[in-house]
Amino acid sequence: MEFDWSKDETEFRSALKDFLSSELPEGFDAFDMPEHDAKEFSKTFAVKLAERGWLTPAWPKAYGGLDQSPWQSLILSEEMVAHGEPRFGQYMCVNWVGPALILAGTDEQKEYHLKRISRGDVMWCQGFSEPGAGSDLASLRTRAIWDGKDYVINGEKIWTSYAGVADFCFLLARTDGEAHKHRGISIFLVPTDAPGLTIRNIPSLFFDGAFNQCTFENVRAPASWMLGPENGGWPIIRKLLVNERVGVARYRRAARSLERAAKIAKAEGLFDDPTVLEALGRARAACEAARVLVYRVIDERAKGRYPDLTAYVYRVATIRAERAVYEAELHIEGLAGMAEGSVAAKQFGHAVTAGVATGTLEMQLNLIARDIVGGVGA
Amino acid sequence: MDMELNETQRAIEDSCTRLFARKAGPSRARLLRAEGGFDRPLLEEMQSAGFLDLFDDAETGPLAAALVTEWASTAAALAPIGQRALIAPAAMSDIPPLVVAVGEKGRKGPVRYAAEADLLILLDGDDAQAVRKGDFVAEPVDSKFGYPMARIASAKGTALAAGSGRTARNWWRVAIAAEVAGIGRAALDLTIRYLKDRVQFDRPIASYQAIQHRLVDCHVSTDAVQWAAREAAYHRAPDELAASAAIAAEETAYRLFYEMHQLTGAIGFTREYDLHLWTMRLQTLRQEAGGINSHAHDLVHARWG
Ligand SMILES: Cc1cc2nc3c(=O)[nH]c(=O)nc-3n(C[C@H](O)[C@H](O)[C@H](O)COP(=O)(O)OP(=O)(O)OC[C@H]3O[C@@H](n4cnc5c(N)ncnc54)[C@H](O)[C@@H]3O)c2cc1C
Repeated sequence: MEFDWSKDETEFRSALKDFLSSELPEGFDAFDMPEHDAKEFSKTFAVKLAERGWLTPAWPKAYGGLDQSPWQSLILSEEMVAHGEPRFGQYMCVNWVGPALILAGTDEQKEYHLKRISRGDVMWCQGFSEPGAGSDLASLRTRAIWDGKDYVINGEKIWTSYAGVADFCFLLARTDGEAHKHRGISIFLVPTDAPGLTIRNIPSLFFDGAFNQCTFENVRAPASWMLGPENGGWPIIRKLLVNERVGVARYRRAARSLERAAKIAKAEGLFDDPTVLEALGRARAACEAARVLVYRVIDERAKGRYPDLTAYVYRVATIRAERAVYEAELHIEGLAGMAEGSVAAKQFGHAVTAGVATGTLEMQLNLIARDIVGGVGA
Repeated sequence: MDMELNETQRAIEDSCTRLFARKAGPSRARLLRAEGGFDRPLLEEMQSAGFLDLFDDAETGPLAAALVTEWASTAAALAPIGQRALIAPAAMSDIPPLVVAVGEKGRKGPVRYAAEADLLILLDGDDAQAVRKGDFVAEPVDSKFGYPMARIASAKGTALAAGSGRTARNWWRVAIAAEVAGIGRAALDLTIRYLKDRVQFDRPIASYQAIQHRLVDCHVSTDAVQWAAREAAYHRAPDELAASAAIAAEETAYRLFYEMHQLTGAIGFTREYDLHLWTMRLQTLRQEAGGINSHAHDLVHARWG
């Protein structure tokens, strides 16, 4: 057991830091920008990253990556997030859409999609949740029925972030209505301008474009849009969702928000107030706990395992960190935190969605319980 | 970065496990508590096995000392192990005597193991004193909170090197965190086993989701403090990491105490059931080194000036 970064890792981090601070304005945050602007910005930015191999460094060399270790991916994620995530929604393509294609794609799919992702000029959205299928994702009912020529897709996806600006949707649909619910699901790579697909923005309490509803009405999907085997989507999803869960160094973003709040506290002379100190201390410790707990996930990945228990534990710790940071910011800003643009008001969306987006807190608790409590019936 | 024990660490773990299985454990702790004593024989054995002198050993370093502290605490060992294995070697250059107690000037309240100690390290802001046996008066106080304790009536020591108070305080925080992590693990294991066995309404209590979620929250907190302590020890207890680990310890101690006792029901309040042999210590550990106020104060000032 040791907690040192290797020389390569340290150099990688400092090169990234230098690059990001020279490229981005102080205080940059893609999530403060209107969604469309953020997307356009991310495209230009991603090209610069791609030139340096930093857009998809964890991918195998054969697909334009650098074969970097999971530790370097973590560093990349931390530094991007610490600098306002200039890749915006592209982290999704890089972290799990690409790896899913590498795992299960045909040569044509790889050729077409991986190139575009690694150039940075494409955005994806994730069509998983449905009005009737949230935590119980495998109960999804969007149907894709083969009519002899194409799959014909009908159904409803909801909460689809980025759908309004995405070029493709990574869609889960049921191709076998008879099979056990996990065994009848397939993945489709659907262009968002496919005829029959309509996208409606659902106003949310937080970010522009956070939520959309995608309605599929007789959308015709040729077989070449299917990723992996028919009815074999679920195992692919299970493997890759861990990438999503730990792909974004949320604790690092929360810690950055806390830095801003601490600056305010200091400037306003609040470092004499024990309640402020306690809230700041607890929030910082919560961010640090999430940071050290993610190392266990990365360590497993680096050793060739697909982490699960450690990843769920890390997610719970991250949710705690997001909330603790918001609480500290409220102690510091008070009513001023209610004004748009305040540190607390910006953190609010992250703090409250952390426990729902990418699988709820309760699902993490259920999964951990299965492991630590184990077989006790009901 | 490597989150698994290396060969040396594993060898230490193996011998600790064997030693603690023979010489520590809840029944031993119960006996010692009944007599109001502490485990000098265990400490002596640990010393002769070299487990108390890992801090300055180039091959093992302070991380191994912190691991031993954590594992001893899981085994309910009743002896000032963190004080001797982590705090004393960080604060002083001489080889410390066997029994070390650590207190703070100007803080009221008793000090763990003070009446038994061969050496009292007294922190005073950024500085510290070493007070040898005979140069301080410690008056034992009764306490149900897990440890033998004594009030320091007077002390006349010699100053340690400048800055050793701050260093010692940081290691104190790491030791607290390691101890809480060890206790947390043991208390949680015991409670999960109990709840899997005990049936109410025709089901094991552990099968209720409301119960499981609370157990998991305790598990997450225990993981958090365990890894915070290990990382802080590895990096030699810098201000921020040490304070942060101590805050994680306070969070875990608070959560676990209530949850473990709540979820165990009435039997958990008896002296006959083992739970208290671990959990009562949490109350003391939450107060040490100034408690949450002091940890938070030092963390904030170390980070943001
Ligand atoms: C900001 C944000 C962005 C999102 N982006 C996307 C996206 O891009 N694409 C996408 O497909 N989805 C997206 N989602 C949806 C997200 O994946 C779901 O919200 C999530 O899986 C929970 O589903 P639900 O909202 O239907 O809640 P429900 O499943 O209805 O759950 C409601 C409550 O009941 C609890 N609950 C449910 N079942 C159990 C159980 N068995 N035991 C205990 N408690 C239970 C839940 O934990 C939760 O607290 C997004 C959500 C948010 C908040």
